[in-house]
Formats: sequence, C-alpha cells, structure tokens
Amino acid sequence: MKLFYQHELENLRTKLILIGEKANEAARIAVDGLLENDLAKIDQALALDDAIDALEVEIDQASVRYITLRSPVSSDVRSILVAIKASHDLERAGDEAHSIALRAKEILTSDGRSGDTVAIGQMSLLSCSMMADAISALVEGDVKLAKAVILRDKKVNELHQQNFETLTICAPDGSTQTPNCFQKVFISKSIERIADHAKNLAEEVIYLLDGPK
Amino acid sequence: MSTSIPSKIAGAGTGTPIIKIRDFDFAYGDSQALFNINMDINEKEVTAFIGPSGCGKSTFLRCFNRMNDLIEIARIKSGAIKISEVNIYDKEVDVIELRKHVGMVFQKSNPFPKSIYDNIAYGLRIQGVKKKSILDEVVERCLRSAALWDEVKDRLSESALGMSGGQQQRLCIARALAVRPKILLMDEPCSALDPIATAKVEELIHELKKDYTIVIVTHNMQQAARVSDRTAFFYLGKLIEYGQTDQIFMNPRDPQTEAYISGRFG
Amino acid sequence: MDSLKPQNIFSKRRSTQGTLEATISGALRLATYLVIISAGYIFLNISINGSKAVFTTEAPFINVEFLTQKPQTLHVFEPKVIDTELKSIKAAVVKLEANSRNLGSGEIVAADEIEQQIETLEEQIKTLDIERKAGRLMYGDDAYRALAEEPNIEHYVYSNYAYSGGGIGPAIVGTCLLVVGSISIALTLGILCAIFLSEYSTPGRTLQLIRLSVLNLSGVPSIVFGLFGFGMFVLFFGWGVSLIAGCFTLAIMALPVIIAASEESMRAIPKGFREGSLALGASKWTSVRTNVLPYALPGILTSSIMGVARVAGETAPIMFTAAFALRDQLPWQGLEKPTDFFFQGVMALPYHIYVVSAKIPQNEYTRNMQYGAAFVFLLIVGFFALSSIILRIKIRKKYKW
Repeated sequence: MKLFYQHELENLRTKLILIGEKANEAARIAVDGLLENDLAKIDQALALDDAIDALEVEIDQASVRYITLRSPVSSDVRSILVAIKASHDLERAGDEAHSIALRAKEILTSDGRSGDTVAIGQMSLLSCSMMADAISALVEGDVKLAKAVILRDKKVNELHQQNFETLTICAPDGSTQTPNCFQKVFISKSIERIADHAKNLAEEVIYLLDGPK
Repeated sequence: MSTSIPSKIAGAGTGTPIIKIRDFDFAYGDSQALFNINMDINEKEVTAFIGPSGCGKSTFLRCFNRMNDLIEIARIKSGAIKISEVNIYDKEVDVIELRKHVGMVFQKSNPFPKSIYDNIAYGLRIQGVKKKSILDEVVERCLRSAALWDEVKDRLSESALGMSGGQQQRLCIARALAVRPKILLMDEPCSALDPIATAKVEELIHELKKDYTIVIVTHNMQQAARVSDRTAFFYLGKLIEYGQTDQIFMNPRDPQTEAYISGRFG
Repeated sequence: MDSLKPQNIFSKRRSTQGTLEATISGALRLATYLVIISAGYIFLNISINGSKAVFTTEAPFINVEFLTQKPQTLHVFEPKVIDTELKSIKAAVVKLEANSRNLGSGEIVAADEIEQQIETLEEQIKTLDIERKAGRLMYGDDAYRALAEEPNIEHYVYSNYAYSGGGIGPAIVGTCLLVVGSISIALTLGILCAIFLSEYSTPGRTLQLIRLSVLNLSGVPSIVFGLFGFGMFVLFFGWGVSLIAGCFTLAIMALPVIIAASEESMRAIPKGFREGSLALGASKWTSVRTNVLPYALPGILTSSIMGVARVAGETAPIMFTAAFALRDQLPWQGLEKPTDFFFQGVMALPYHIYVVSAKIPQNEYTRNMQYGAAFVFLLIVGFFALSSIILRIKIRKKYKW
C-alpha cells in the first residue's frame, strides 16, 4: 500500500541523484578546462559549487524531517542514512572539484597553457566514470555495478602514484614551472580523492541494498 | 477579552481560522479541567491535540460540539469558542444544529446495530429526509469518501456489526460525513485498531482534509506527526505549545514539549 | 526411591479444600433438584386432576361445556337402592370402629376380628361406589330444566351442589380481560416511567428516593392493594365494583416489576448508541426512540411476562374491586351503553377458585371444579407468557445488538 507521504522519500532520492550528477559534472569540466586550456569551462565548474552545497543542506534537512515525522524502519531508515552519508561524500567531492578548478585556473592564468598533464586526463576519465557508475548503481539498485566500482579504485591510486613520482621531479628547483608542477600534484590528489568518494558512495549503495551485513 | 496571544502559542498564520478559542475555562463541578485556552484552528487543516492522560484534550475536543452538555456537572466558567464567528455557548445557539455542523467520531467505534445503509442514512432520516433516491446517493457518496464503497457495496443491507474493527470505524466516519459537517472531530479514532486499519484511517484523514477541517486527539505521537498540519500540546489543562507540526517535533520551543515528545516525561 | 521418580506436578491431591468443594457443589445441586421436583409435583398434580375435568374421552376431547358455561348448580341423582345399601354399610363400619375403640388394650384377638370385618365392609363399599358412579345421573341447571320429566323419585336419591356444575366460561373471559387491561395500563405507565428514570432524570438524591419508593411498592401485601383500590377507584372515583377498577388496581401491583425490569434493560444499552446519535444532530427523544427503545424491547417484554405472573393470580386485589361470585351474562352481553363494558364487575378465575374452595362445603364434585379451574388457569397464564416470549424472540431477531 502506498503511504501518502511516500513522495517525501522519492524527493530525497531525486535530490541525491542531482547532487551526484552536479559533483561529477563539476569535476569533469574542471579537468576538461585544464586539458583544453578553456577558462570558460573552469568558471562553470566553480559556479556549480554553491548549488552543491545548497543541495547538501536541503538533503540533511529533509532527512531529519523524515526521521522525526515519519518514524521509518528497515529499508526506509537505511535509505535516509545513505542519503545523509552519500550527500556528505558528494559534497566533499564537489569541494575537491572546486579546488581542482581553482588550481587549474591558477595554472592557466599564470602560464597560459597547461603543459604536460601526464596521466591527469586518464585519471579524470576513470574517476568520473566511477562516480557516474556509483550514481547509476544507486538509481538502479545494482549491487554488482557498485562492487565493480570499488575494484577500479586501485587503478586510480596507481595512476596518482605515477603522477606523483613524475611531477615531483618534473621541474628542477627554482624553475618557473615548479609552482605549476605542484599544482598538478594537488590536482592529481584531488582526483584521487574524488575516486575515493565514489568508492564510498558505492559502499553505501551496497549497505542500502544488502542491509548491515 | 484579551486579543494578544503569546507568540509561542498563537498557531495562526497561513490558514483561515474557523474555530477561535479565547480565554476558555472549563470545569467539572468544582474541579477545573481547562485553564485559559487561547488558540485558532484553521480551516481545511488537520490539527492534532497531544498530551499525557488526563491533560484535558478529550474534554476540550468535546466542547466543540457541546457533547459535554450531557454531563451534568460540566460547565464553562469563562471565555468563548467561536465557530465561524458564532459563539457556540450562546443561549440562542441550537445544539442540534451545531452538531450537524460539527461531526464527531468516537474512540470506540459505535456503529448502530442496524444495516450499513441504515447507519449512514440515519443522520438524514432524523432530519426528515425520506426519498430513497436522495438517501441512496448520500450513502454512496459517503462510503466512497470513506474508502469503503468497494468493500461493502454488495452488502449494504447486512448488519454493520458484522464488519471488522477498522471497517466499523470507517463506517462511523462515513456516517458522520452524511450530514455534511464542516468540521470533523476525532477522539483517538485509531486507538482500538490494528496497524493496517490505522494506516487506512490515516490515509482517509489525509484525503478528507481537502474538504473538511479535522481536529484529532491522539495518544500516539507518531500518528500526530504523520497526519497533522498543526499540533497542540496540552498538560494539566493548559495549552503549553501550539504550532506547525514540523516545528513542534523537530524544534519545540517549550522544554515540557521537548520532554513529552522525546518520551522523557514524568 | 521417590527422589528419582519425577513428581507429577499436576497430580490431584486429596485435601480438605477438595472435599469441601465437592460437598458444596453437591449441596447446590441437591437444592436445585428439590426445587424442580417440588415445582414439578405441583404442576403434575394440578394437571392430572384438572385434566379429568377439562378433557373427555370422546371427540372433540375437550370438555367444551366446562370451558364455556357459567357455573351452575349440579343436580345429582343416585340410584336409590345402592344409596341405601351404602348408607347401611357405612353405618355398620362406624359401629365397628366404635366397638374397637371401646375394647381394652389387652383383647388383641377381638381387635383383629373387628379389623377384618371393617376391611371386608370397605371392599364392599368400593365395589358399590363403582356401581353408584356408573348408575348416577348428573345435570347442570340448563340440562336439568331441559329434562322432559324428572327421574323417578322411587329409583333415585336427589341432591344438589352449588357451583359444582356447568363451567367456568365467564371466569376465563373475566380473567383474560383483567390481565389484558391491567398489563396494558401497567406497560404504558411503566415504560414511560422507566424512560424517565433511565434517560431524563439527573442522578442524585431525588432519583434514589424515587427508585426506592418504586421498589417498596413491590413489597406491599396484595390485600393492601385491594383495600387501596377499593377506597380509591370504587368509592372515591365512584366507579363501583368494575372491570376498570380491577384493572387499575392490578396495574399498580404490576408496576414496580415492570419499571424495574424495563429500566434495567434500558440501562444495559451501551452509552455509545446514545452518544453516536446525539453527535449526528438527533434530539434527545429521537435518540431514545430510534436508538435505545427498540433494543430494550426484549427486556421490556420480559418484564411484562413477570408482570403477568404477578398479576394474573392475585385474588385479594380483585376481591373488592372487580370480582363477582356469579354473573349471569358474559361481559359483552346486556350492556345499556358501550362504556358500561368497563364499569361492570366480572368473574375471575382466582376468585372463583376461592369461592368454590372456601365458601361452600367440600365434596368430590367441588374438588373436580377446583382442579379444573386451577388447570385452566395455569394454561391461560402459560399462554400469555408464551405469546410474550414469542414476541420477544421475534423482536430480538429484528433488533439484534
């Protein structure tokens, strides 16, 4: 039997999907902007952060309201918990994307071009696809997909390690390239963290669907 | 008569008030049951009264349709209750007309031991309506409003006592709707029902509030939270806090309200 | 060893408590059986003896004259020969008994001889009695007058007995009228009173007082009711000894029972019915009329049965107020104007039984009449009760709650 307040849970889910997509998009176009030397895209990425923060607050409030007024149990209460935790993860991912955009802007405005972007592009592709898959897993309730996402995190970590080793020796001391190299290290770290958040999201999806096992 | 109402209590705001209670004091003989109640109940909303046993919420509810008149020693000490701008305790008010305007559903469902059809037609028959076509139409309308039509349309002439508890309570609701009241009072309507029947009645209340103003007294706080738009918390005959249900449950202003809601009362 | 055998924790233990329980339940059972047996004996006795008067051996198997005719004098003609013989034998028996009393205590042989003689004579009496009953002629007044000629005085001995012939027709009619009249009055007044007491009165000292007075009424002796009825209805209202005075007196007797039982049955209706209908905008009377009274009807009808039981068998109240010992015409005959129907006295069964038993000398003929009247009386009361029960069952089906 459909409860007359069922729509509140569904609204919550919609918000969660929205925040995920926004965070993913922010990360993607920030890196694209860097790779393509496109400042416009980077500005777009920066603008998304406010919307992401606002959505996280909304999700929090809606979750507390639902728990207070509807006394959920079982899968409903797990939905709410996942909503709170996932929105937090996605907001942090959004923060990382914001930081990527800021650093990319630094690089482009100081240097005019991105230079050797090593494996950043590849990392970004991987982590964005992980995030997209994690969100899909949530939408479709696909546990297998979620488990696959968790496995891909290892590759991203390896790539970051590669970047780290390359970038820390890329510019000799005192060269004008050094700040940019460090920025790129930080960007790489941010992407790696975004991949971690995607992994967390996937784990929460598994908790939601399989229960606290 | 004071017109300033403490902001903690007012409860007025977005809706149009249909019941206005001002400085209302009520007593049973020498013992006072309600102290200086001031509130506004809005039209086409669900208002819930919560509070511990003996706090006066049922007494207060029964004042709205003057069912307390049946008790000899009950009397209003001061103040007024105005429904649609008419003080219902005025000498010129005909109690029978009032009760057609303000319907009531009781805690223990009390279907008459007549057929289902006769139960619902009762309210109209005592007003003198005899025409079968009118009665048929009213019976169907009310049973549909109460989400009972599909379940009983084939056995309207069977005794109402043969229905399950939840169905009986919905029948009582349908019966109250037959005389077209503007306000529906419900005194713990689900306290004797199992969870599924309760959910059905709550769903029904949610539907009905589009057309009727509903005031519900309940012991079950979760029910008040699920169903009502506004909630009033009573304790020892006094109105402690009254406001939007969201606010009362998520962020109550009075510490007594907080204690009651979190179960730490007493 | 006991410690190894598992104890049966549910085993019966012989104890004083147990025997006490058994004794008490046995005593209760005994008391109930005693009551049932006594009641059964009374009913059987009356039925057996009464059916001798009411039922006959030939079609239509009911003694219609007994049920329809008014009491008449019984004219009996017994065969003279047998009569004289019986008289002489009876005289001989009396003489022998006197002799046996005069004998001393030591003369056993003579006493035995006399005993034997008495026995033989008694046997003879028995045989003669049968002959006598076979040969006698009995006529009621009408039949006697209808005789073409009187039986020959040479062959028959004539005697007559008042109230032993004819039937109890008018008494039956009178009793029925009294019962119907008094119960109608009592039910009307009683139901109205019960409705007031249970629905409209306010709880308090006055109500307690009213209830107490109603209960006390039921303790008043019936003869006092009779005197009250005599003073009030017969003398003060000027109705004279009449059907209506009797009905009112009996009605007052039945009132306490009816009020108490009706009020109980109304109070048994749950409060929810009244509240439900009031909340729908019904006035108090509408609520009582449509939602309380119909469901209290079975109880009220039961109370009417109890009222009938109290009222139908009373002699004292109607003795002064309604009953005539003998009335020639049936109540609806010989009226000058319609209202005279109410202002005439009637015969009644209990009074008739009283008259036949107490006011005239007893003999085998009067006993027949008494038992017959008692039996018919039982049947009438049973009929009223049965119709009330059937009505109650029908109404219960219709207004089940």
